[in-house]
Amino acid sequence: MRRWAASHRWEVFLMVALAITIVINALLSPFYLGVDNFVNLFWLSNEKIIVAVIMTFVIISGEIDLSVASVMGFSAAVMATFHEATTLPFVVAILAGLAAGALAGLIQGMVITRFGLPSLVVTLAGLIGFRGGARVLMEDESIGDFPVWFDQLGQQTLLGPFPLALLIFFVGLAVAWVILERGALGRRVYVIGNNAEVARFSGVAVDRVKLRLFITSGLVAGLAGVLFAARLGSVRGSLAEFYELDIITMVLLGGVSIFGGKGSMLGVTLALFTVLNIRNGLGLANVDGIIQTGVIGALLILSVLIPNITERLGKGSARREATAQAPP
Amino acid sequence: MTDTRPILEIEGVSKRFDATQALKDVSMTLLPGEVHGLVGENGAGKSTLIKIMTGIHNADEGTMTLDGEAFVPQDAADAQLHGVAAIYQEPSIFPDLTVAENIFVGHQDRGWLVNWKTMMSDAEGILATLDIDTDPAMPAAGLTVAGQQAVEIAKAISLDTRVLIMDEPTAALSAHEVQRLFNQVRRLKESGVAVLFITHRLEELFEVCDRLSVFRDGQHISTRPMSEATEESIVREMVGRDPSDFFSRGEHPEGEVMLRVDSLDVAGKFADVTFEVRRGEVFGLAGLVGAGRTEVALALFGITPAERGTIELEGRRISVQSPNEALAHGIAYLSEDRRSLGLSLDQSVSANITLATLDRYTTSLGMVDRTAELEDARALREQLDIKTPDLDTPVGNLSGGNQQKTMLAKWLNTEPKVLILDEPTRGIDVGAKADVHGFIDDLARSGIAIILISSDLPEVLAMSDRVAVMKEGILTVILDKSQATQERVMEAAVGVS
Amino acid sequence: MARAERPVRRLSPDRIKELILVGIIAGSVVIFGFIVDGYLSGRFFNRVTTSVVIVGILAAAQALVIFSRNIDLSVGSTVGVAAYLTADFLASNAWANPVVAMLVAMAVGAVLGAFNGVLVAYGKVPAIIVTLGTLALFRTLISLYSGGANVTAAELPDWVLDFNNITVFSVGGFDLRLVFLILVGVVVVLQWALRRLRAGRRLYAIGSNPDAAQQAGLAAPRLIWLSFVGAGTLAGLAGFMFMIRAGTISATAGAGLELEAVAAAVVGGVSIFGGSGTMFGAFLGAVLIDTLELSLVRVPEVSEFWRDAALGILILLAVILDATLQKRFNRRLKRDIRPPQQDTEARAMTVSAAEGGVADA
Repeated sequence: MRRWAASHRWEVFLMVALAITIVINALLSPFYLGVDNFVNLFWLSNEKIIVAVIMTFVIISGEIDLSVASVMGFSAAVMATFHEATTLPFVVAILAGLAAGALAGLIQGMVITRFGLPSLVVTLAGLIGFRGGARVLMEDESIGDFPVWFDQLGQQTLLGPFPLALLIFFVGLAVAWVILERGALGRRVYVIGNNAEVARFSGVAVDRVKLRLFITSGLVAGLAGVLFAARLGSVRGSLAEFYELDIITMVLLGGVSIFGGKGSMLGVTLALFTVLNIRNGLGLANVDGIIQTGVIGALLILSVLIPNITERLGKGSARREATAQAPP
Repeated sequence: MTDTRPILEIEGVSKRFDATQALKDVSMTLLPGEVHGLVGENGAGKSTLIKIMTGIHNADEGTMTLDGEAFVPQDAADAQLHGVAAIYQEPSIFPDLTVAENIFVGHQDRGWLVNWKTMMSDAEGILATLDIDTDPAMPAAGLTVAGQQAVEIAKAISLDTRVLIMDEPTAALSAHEVQRLFNQVRRLKESGVAVLFITHRLEELFEVCDRLSVFRDGQHISTRPMSEATEESIVREMVGRDPSDFFSRGEHPEGEVMLRVDSLDVAGKFADVTFEVRRGEVFGLAGLVGAGRTEVALALFGITPAERGTIELEGRRISVQSPNEALAHGIAYLSEDRRSLGLSLDQSVSANITLATLDRYTTSLGMVDRTAELEDARALREQLDIKTPDLDTPVGNLSGGNQQKTMLAKWLNTEPKVLILDEPTRGIDVGAKADVHGFIDDLARSGIAIILISSDLPEVLAMSDRVAVMKEGILTVILDKSQATQERVMEAAVGVS
Repeated sequence: MARAERPVRRLSPDRIKELILVGIIAGSVVIFGFIVDGYLSGRFFNRVTTSVVIVGILAAAQALVIFSRNIDLSVGSTVGVAAYLTADFLASNAWANPVVAMLVAMAVGAVLGAFNGVLVAYGKVPAIIVTLGTLALFRTLISLYSGGANVTAAELPDWVLDFNNITVFSVGGFDLRLVFLILVGVVVVLQWALRRLRAGRRLYAIGSNPDAAQQAGLAAPRLIWLSFVGAGTLAGLAGFMFMIRAGTISATAGAGLELEAVAAAVVGGVSIFGGSGTMFGAFLGAVLIDTLELSLVRVPEVSEFWRDAALGILILLAVILDATLQKRFNRRLKRDIRPPQQDTEARAMTVSAAEGGVADA
């Protein structure tokens, strides 16, 4: 246990932070500990946290996908346009939206792996371009009047107190957790992020894995966009705008290294819960949303700064220790 | 010329890295206007000495005196300020900056402004004295390796360097470029610079050096004028050890041909390489660093596929375009660069062992079967005697020898038909080395065809059934065990053919 | 002079990139001139030169940190903070003239940039994390300070809204606006500084090869810190420009500008991996983007909503072009390595010749 704690220092820190947040929140508000509030906790962020799960994979593999929020908007726009322009069943429109997301990921993944370009730049182009795609489709209109069942899926609970999006999040999180910790794909993702050359020299098809991650990232973003549309009951070109920064922040706050190779689903899950609880608690205390954002921004910086400082303070002794153990 | 006062005196310098004594009581002097050759096998302590001279490492014991004053460089930049600079096989340049800036960056710190006009004309002047035809206004990224080295030499001149260390500067150069480099070296020498010239190519020593020092096992063996040295005396002093110190492999029956390589070619790396390896044979591949041995291995493993020629495995022609294909055919390659190509250091021992065979432990749902994985990892840990607290320990925490064994375990787990071992004992201690030699013998006995690339000559001779020698991209000779002596191999590898 | 002996001087890749950009800008102006009636008018010129100012300054700010392999995602928030605080300052200090206001805005930006820089250079936190954090943090600070209240145009001195239209001189309908002149001045000064100051060259060196820079003793944290202070100061100036353009300043001023700034720099040939690109390039990138944005809306067949989609494609093409140019440049290096066979023969000859030489000595 002590060894686990030593190698998962950040997760331990997040647990403490989460516990403190929960205690404070519970003291502040009598409503906090109810099931309704638990669901409420997620309500406004369902789509973001779904995307954060796949983003964890992308960042651990040493890449980044800045385009997710735009792809959410693009997919929703494709779905809405399909709905408005054709008489096909609405399910086809949903599938078209999901396909649009996967296609967006495919295009970006191809450019990244074929040309060897940095994903930061390619997905920045995607961020702007797919948002543009959504605007082209939607212009400045709003498309609504989706089938009632679709709106209900987004706005009402499906199973017990849980709406569909939250169920999808929990199922997705569980699947992703298992794949990352126990799956062959997870193993490869870590190795690629840690050292892509070692992976290549061990017969791992690095480019293929990365391409699949980007396609999945696009598909999941597409799904999140469709779910968001259901929750709102209508689609605009600006749907989910600027969400990418929130999503990436949550993943990095979870201790995932921006350089790849390091991080855990546990850390990201704890970070998601911590962020949502801080927002929820501050919300219950009537603190403005923008301040919640600032607190999270500060946490993000501290999450890297504090380990850096403690490392440097302990460097003298740490270095001695390292040389004593280091291989010749 | 040789009786002037020395520029740099090294007195009784020693350096220890944990278990390894890298340098032991080394003393030598460098005179102004001399080119001083330095030779020794890998691990003889040459690199450590360079790193101490340029301030990258501190000596444990001993002193250095530069122009009569104690010389204790803090870092490479400090050493440069004192006039001691090094040029490496792979020059470290700023690819986006111009040639002129690369020459002057970092040390023309007088004032705030860059005077481009002066800098350009100064650069052109220096480049002209070196007979280099390069536009100083172009980015350095467009230069060849030779051009980049020339820039580093120009930088050394602009720095008023008095001691210039050249660490295998010719390894990546063509013959024409080598001649030009030598001309540059001679000019430096004429201006009174002491050049410490490190190379594996003996002919170059005779061509350019005035004196020669030989290192072996971290010790200084001899220094003598070049005119008193012969190829035989150099080789004898470099090798020193007796091959009988090594694990000696018994005879074993010859199997049928496992791998046949015919006229393999990769442009700029090696040409027309032909050999065959039998089941149960250890086929040694000797030669100097940069002779093309690793490149042949990379072609067989599909990292840089061969451009011409054929590869046959068990009599069937195969195509190897990627590591995946190589592994599917049963060809495995243990890289010489453990840290950046061999192991994922943050991952556990077991994850590294099963990395190349992950599909075997993958269930239909895409999960890793941990039980089966750990079972195999445990067996290999036992077989190879990997010393680790447990199989979940990050492999980066293990000692070099145990990391090497983990890497070997990864490839054994692929159950290869052909196993290419590239410098399998580099940088590991004596005990682990003996272990690895034992495994190689066991593996050969189990019927694997082994290609052993090693710069450690006694090791190649002791372990191999046959030894092929490569020189500058050409496989020059294949010797049977009975014919393979240190002298013959060395001659084929460096000799003045 | 040596220069005279070599009449054909090859153009550096940076110059080539700049020329390509100029060509594309000129080409698109000509094409739009054919498609759109009355396109080549003074009014259009005036619109482009005023609207490019904010993103142009921010592209310069972004380039300044990207050169050393960093990034500043907080510039949009810095614009917001600087714009709001400056407007607030003017609302209660009616005596202040434009120069004072500009200095206030730049000082605010410098402080925020210094904060980023300390964390990156001395705290060793990756720039993308620091500035992602301060993107949120700075925005929060301004929201707290403002308490949700806007500073309206009515509270500001009269010169504020006129400033944007101050014309230095005009030829026909073509006005040279003061704000554009400031942008050009900023770019020229920075281009000069980065080329002529040793600190500027060091910044490129650090981005080009951090390990080599470390070895050569160049990688001073102070320089990285200064580049962030510089980027913050420029973002502050952009905040001033935002204020005079918008009139009414809310706490969300400048949101989203950070990505436009990165995009302009990248289109302008500034490599995200540091070490290469120029200030002129970043400026031209901003001009190109702005020209296309303002031109597309004038084409009747194209909906105004194509703006972002076109921009995304443009960025992608720019980076692919950049990568291809780089590859072609590096291929020269490969060609020079000859196959070893000829080498062996040549070497054998030279060696035997040299042997004779040694024997003579």
